[in-house]
Amino acid sequence: MRPGDPTPTSRNLDPLAHPFARARERTRALNAAKIERMFAKPFVASLEGHSDAVEVLVRKPKSLTTIASTSWNGDIVIHDLQQRTEILTLRGAHKGKASGLCFGGQNGDRFLSCGVDKTVKLWNTPTGLEQDTGEGIPSNVFPSKNAFNSIDHHRTDPVFATASNIVQIWDESKTAPVSNLTFPTSTETITSVRFNLSEPSVLASVGSDRTFTLYDIRTGKAERRVIMQMRSNSLAWSPTFPTTILLASEDHNLYTFDVRNLASPTQIYKAHVAAVMSCDWSPTGTEFVSGGWDRTIRIWKEGIGKQPEVYHTKRMQRVFSTAFTADARFVLSGSDDGNVRIWKAKASDKLGVIDARERAAMEYRDSLKERWKVDAEVGKVTRGRHLPKPIYKANQLKRTMLEAKRVKEERRRKHTRAGDTKPKPEKKTVVEREQT
Amino acid sequence: MDALFAKADAIRPHKRRKFNDDGSHAKEYTGKKEVELDSTAKSVLRHTSLPKSLRPGSPPPNEAKKYSHISDKKLRAELSRQSAHSARSKVLLQDASFLLEHEESGTMEVEGELERTWRVGQDEIVESAGQEAAKGRREWKLDGGPYRSRYTRNGRHLAIVGLKGHVATFDWQTGTLHSELQLRETCRDITFLHDQSHFAVAQSKYVFIYDRDGVELHRLKSHIEPTRLEFLPYHWLLVSVGRTGYLKYQDTSTGQILTEHRTRLGACTTMTQNLHNAVIHLGHQNGTVTLWTPNLPHPAVRLLAHLGPVVSVSVDPSTGGRYMATAGHDSTVKVWDCRNWKGAVRQWTTRGGSTELEWGQKGVLAVASGGSVNVYNKPTIQQFFAGTTSPPLYMTHPIPHRPLTSVRFCPFQDVLTIGHSNGLSSILVPGSGEPNFDSSEADPFENKRVRREREVKGLLDKVQPDMITLDPEFVGSMAPPTKLTTDVNSKPNIPFARLPRQHRLKLQGRADETEEVSEEEGGGEGEEGKAARKEEEEKKRMRGKNKAMKRYLRKQRKNVIDPKAVALREKLQKEGEQRKKARDAAKGIQEDRLPSALDRFRT
Repeated sequence: MRPGDPTPTSRNLDPLAHPFARARERTRALNAAKIERMFAKPFVASLEGHSDAVEVLVRKPKSLTTIASTSWNGDIVIHDLQQRTEILTLRGAHKGKASGLCFGGQNGDRFLSCGVDKTVKLWNTPTGLEQDTGEGIPSNVFPSKNAFNSIDHHRTDPVFATASNIVQIWDESKTAPVSNLTFPTSTETITSVRFNLSEPSVLASVGSDRTFTLYDIRTGKAERRVIMQMRSNSLAWSPTFPTTILLASEDHNLYTFDVRNLASPTQIYKAHVAAVMSCDWSPTGTEFVSGGWDRTIRIWKEGIGKQPEVYHTKRMQRVFSTAFTADARFVLSGSDDGNVRIWKAKASDKLGVIDARERAAMEYRDSLKERWKVDAEVGKVTRGRHLPKPIYKANQLKRTMLEAKRVKEERRRKHTRAGDTKPKPEKKTVVEREQT
Repeated sequence: MDALFAKADAIRPHKRRKFNDDGSHAKEYTGKKEVELDSTAKSVLRHTSLPKSLRPGSPPPNEAKKYSHISDKKLRAELSRQSAHSARSKVLLQDASFLLEHEESGTMEVEGELERTWRVGQDEIVESAGQEAAKGRREWKLDGGPYRSRYTRNGRHLAIVGLKGHVATFDWQTGTLHSELQLRETCRDITFLHDQSHFAVAQSKYVFIYDRDGVELHRLKSHIEPTRLEFLPYHWLLVSVGRTGYLKYQDTSTGQILTEHRTRLGACTTMTQNLHNAVIHLGHQNGTVTLWTPNLPHPAVRLLAHLGPVVSVSVDPSTGGRYMATAGHDSTVKVWDCRNWKGAVRQWTTRGGSTELEWGQKGVLAVASGGSVNVYNKPTIQQFFAGTTSPPLYMTHPIPHRPLTSVRFCPFQDVLTIGHSNGLSSILVPGSGEPNFDSSEADPFENKRVRREREVKGLLDKVQPDMITLDPEFVGSMAPPTKLTTDVNSKPNIPFARLPRQHRLKLQGRADETEEVSEEEGGGEGEEGKAARKEEEEKKRMRGKNKAMKRYLRKQRKNVIDPKAVALREKLQKEGEQRKKARDAAKGIQEDRLPSALDRFRT
């Protein structure tokens, strides 16, 4: 053996050679859980540049570092996440709220913004290499009669959709909308519209009439509409499952629907204690992030409807916009206080270079936590989160109310004739009516 | 919209057709059921190749249970994944089981009928042993009184203490002396702490802790007149018992006294630990042996072992602490089964008054009494034997320096060290030490860096003292089901919604009852009688109750639908079914039991 060689090891697999193996493994798992909580420092940075609430956060396609945000006073800022600088700042790009923004083209070389000032503006994305001249002047302006609430661009074609009191399809080269999409008998305000990512001629919208509508621009009409118990604030199509859509609802919950069967959601995601304002999928489609009126951000695993990761800070106000970065390692949030915050998607993630031994140790710790998660003490450490007092209290109150409601229902059923009313599963109560 | 649905459907498992020369592979894939893939994996299958760790690999073995009766898809998928995983790992374990089989354990064997292993003396063994192994045969002539010794867990270092106060620690293989002290007072016992860097000495008044170089670090004033010391390595507890009859636990990682138990049995001079559950065994002057944990204020087990004082206790490490050997002043040695304390497994008498005992790592029992050390080997000393003749002797070695005050086997070596009035002598006992060490537990060849690392890791992995119980396997096993005591007149007085989930499922008739059935099925011959008796009791108890119930039902008018009566009828029917099931089980008619989520906890 030469100096520097690894120490030779020998193994004896006889369980008698390892007394207290289980107890020691449990201790290790408990330590791993505690270490994870100790290193859980999710906040990375805050990006400034807005002086009012941040309404929209959009990442530029095929870019890891560029994101754009709009605010309620009509400003548009394009941020560089790596440098934490502003690439472009458009003060007063819209009069009043700049309510929507989307990148166009395969590489995002231009972007469109819409506002309550009844215009859509087309801008060129700065390359960041040289100072562009002609900053602050849109390359095209599309006027309309109605205030816009949301905008989304077709994935490949130079076509975009806007949401006002109807959904309108525009061509970038024409100043008037190409077509109007609306569900017959609908008189609502559309709050958000999104193109499907894999079948880009299909788009979905949510409206103030507690509706969620699916359109097809080839047939030029609304295909289906679902009326729910409460209105949805935001929606997002899954990047990996073409038929899965996520809705952020006013009733504190998020819902995933499979659009092939709109009678009930595939999963209900319950943790927020106030309306959910925004949601965005991770590019992997296995996670998504939501921001709420309760001043928290929650990171969910697809298909697991409870106990999400929760982020909050003292100065963060209502979260109006959230986004995942393209590498799925970070989460962005834009809130009422005018800051865009960068968070780690995994709270205890280590940034920077990780060597093989450290990686192996981390993986071992993860597997220990997974293996011992049913242990009371380990589970308590892994699942427990300290929440700000108002959120904690609101949660308590909400739980009490729901429990009381459930008990009341139970008692009423007990004292009515047997078989009179059947308990209805919660998933079946979400959708009130489905229309085609 | 249809295009979207078509696109969603396109993510169906991608049908791979392999046209091989022999066509064998094609057959595999066209089998009626393919291994269920993760749906995410499915969606990317066409464009990528999965990493090896995620590939379904071999199909799960046949023992993997199917949970087709569970309707929840997610739960079913998770359970089948787990059962496939456990079945695979079982197969892997079987595959590796040959590593655990030790055909030849290095013991001496006779060739003919008339030969005896105990006739072979030390000179002959040393001659035939290898040069390195022969180093274990030593004589240390010292004049500090009768000596006691202790090895570190890796068997590399030895600490000795003479009654008159001579203390030394050294690496006995290289002969490097770490420290040598003349304490000039009575010293009764010595023990290493977690490794050779610290040791504790039971001196005339207190316990003292020294570091490797013999510098006094601590005087533990709360341990008064200690006689015996033990160190529980995985809990970092130093345990002492003394003339006052107090058993004291001191945490050496924090320095706090954990607990002190008053034994109420007088001065105690006999103590040992069970390595596998960290229970302390004490032998007392009135012939009782008591088993202690820090969590109980009274002994976990109290056993009248001998008619006179108990002088030595030892626990067999080779069977996971299943057997205990005790020796008393009444010149008997007894072997006890720690699972069943009704009478000794085997007992025999020895010559000479005080006897010292020690089990080796591979189950060799050394008994030092009178002027010789007798060594007995494994199968016979643990088999039940009604007589009082001594078991067949494996080895014997005379030592002319009475009294023999301690016997210690060296871990991972075939060496037995005997302390006596003229110093110490170590002899070779072939087959007494575990030949394969595990370097993650105790490494005889560890260097300074590894020792430091082990110290830190050991501290991080310190098991909490409140987890010391007679059965160490309770960690990570299922908690017993809770008993619901909220029922009033056999009616739950809490609303359905507030009941625990298991109870709610039971009320709805959706609980997975398969585990309870299995418990009735299990059990050996001895338990059958008990089960039958219990059943009989239940039957008798139920009969009277049933009669009243039936009368009540009879009196109910048939054309009135009373929910109470309906419920009762249902209950009666259910009970009838259960009785039928039990009858079938007694007859041996096996009912097809559905697999349960808890099956994987069954061995």
